Amino acid sequence: MTVQELVKKVFFVEILKGLALTLSRLFTKPVTRRYPKEKRPAALGFRGLHALVRNPATGEAKCVGCGLCAAICPSRCIYIYTKEGPDHKKVVERYEIEVLRCVYCAFCVEACPFGAVVLTPHYEYSDYSRDNLYMTKEKLLQNWDKYMGEEGYNYFDKFWNPKADHFRTPKEQPKWRKS
Amino acid sequence: MERVEKPLQTKEITLNMGPQHPSTHGVLRLVLELDGETVVKCTPYVGYLHRGIEKLSEGMTYMQALPLTDRLDYISSMANNVGYCLAVERLFGIEAPERAKFIRTMVCEMTRISSHIIWLGTHALDLGAMTPFLYSFREREWILDLFEKLCGARLTVSYPRIGGVRNDVSQEFLDSLYKFTEEFPRRIEEYETLIDQNRIWLKRTKGIGVISAEEAINWGLTGPTLRGSGVNYDIRKKFPYDAYDRVEFDVPLGKNGDVYDRYRCRMEELRQSTRIIRQCIEKLPEGPIMAPDAPKFTLPPKDRVLADMESLIHHFVLITKGPMAAPEGEIYVATEVPKGELGFYIVSDGTGRPYRMRVRAPSFVHASVLPRLCEGGLVADVIANIGTIDIVLGECDR
Repeated sequence: MTVQELVKKVFFVEILKGLALTLSRLFTKPVTRRYPKEKRPAALGFRGLHALVRNPATGEAKCVGCGLCAAICPSRCIYIYTKEGPDHKKVVERYEIEVLRCVYCAFCVEACPFGAVVLTPHYEYSDYSRDNLYMTKEKLLQNWDKYMGEEGYNYFDKFWNPKADHFRTPKEQPKWRKS
Repeated sequence: MERVEKPLQTKEITLNMGPQHPSTHGVLRLVLELDGETVVKCTPYVGYLHRGIEKLSEGMTYMQALPLTDRLDYISSMANNVGYCLAVERLFGIEAPERAKFIRTMVCEMTRISSHIIWLGTHALDLGAMTPFLYSFREREWILDLFEKLCGARLTVSYPRIGGVRNDVSQEFLDSLYKFTEEFPRRIEEYETLIDQNRIWLKRTKGIGVISAEEAINWGLTGPTLRGSGVNYDIRKKFPYDAYDRVEFDVPLGKNGDVYDRYRCRMEELRQSTRIIRQCIEKLPEGPIMAPDAPKFTLPPKDRVLADMESLIHHFVLITKGPMAAPEGEIYVATEVPKGELGFYIVSDGTGRPYRMRVRAPSFVHASVLPRLCEGGLVADVIANIGTIDIVLGECDR
């Protein structure tokens, strides 16, 4: 053991270095948030609670009941019941999502050819009963009004546009720029 | 009355550790036979987190089975997704475009950083050093925020797709990630200041859980657990996939094969991952992000679905029945996930669903080496050994 090593051992140099680091952190801004009081905004395209898109022209749901979302859903939590309406038109009678079984993969959003189902940025919806989290069509449309509203119509433009363009190269693609 | 002399006896006691023990990193159960403080026998029991992912995937189309792979090793879900997508792509004979490859490499390395820093935090916490836990979770939060910006989910991302990735990166994401690569090496130094030379840390890790290179190979170890013993085996170098053959990085190796060397290996890997991410950002080419010439395997773009009859048919068939043009055959593709070698063995019978999917999970193989590492050691070192092989029971039990 050299003298240097002995000095280090006797004076706890490496431990003091660590303590100096933690002491210096005492005077910096904390990185933690006081969660229920202080909330962080969810990022664009966050996969939270489901909603059915309201058609701005008719005020009804955009969904036509093709059943693709139910077909792709890996946890099989979407139920669609359709019936024949007036003029032999297909009418979506019931559209239900069992939220507690959902895995939030957003495959339903990707599969829907009309952009009629979205995942909203809302994520605080714990409840005491299962029934309140069984989303019927009315509840899903209410979710749209509550958590997406007018803003929601830009949802696909902002977040899914690259997906829609993937056969051709978009004109401006994000790339590295020197900061 | 006759007096019977009973000689004093020593007896081994059986200690049940887990499945609810906080330092078994999930639901691992170890049955230890102790002779005083020494572990005589160690028997791991796995299966408490079995969800039947392999069996479930047989009833799903190739695309649907993707979210299942998120839940294998849930702290490095992106790497699992990429591994699965690569296996299916090679089975189909399609290839992701360049830009998607670079993005995938980038997110894989982000996952490696996030997985290694959660390992560092919990491993140090188990061995009595609490501060690195708080510091490492600060950086993990940064990475999770980046994932959220990228794809809308923080943990179970489901971001890569068969034949590419789900959506393009945003400029904001790239800038923030580049800032991260500039800042992160300084943060690694902080972790090292805290524990690297700390005498308690050295006492708890040096010379513990030693496994020689030859033995490590025989036990089937992979990843940093193998490289800590000095075996230069990294799938990213030996069988490059995605863009790994176009970025420069070193494979850090240990020497002694003890807990400390494996710790050093992972710390070096953090630096190398930062290097890879930076190169990926700088070299990121322009181009499509989904395989454009594979309409029978990848979903057509949204704007075409309602305008073009053929696209609409492909869209419906792919979603309801899966890729019907899937060739018959079987394939094994291994990728280097943070824990080691993750392999997907897929048997296809030509329908849109995998006939059989078998996952070669590194955690399962690593859990089997626990008796070898623990037996003969002290009971306190069992914790160090569980930490050092870096297992996640979600992947082990599947």
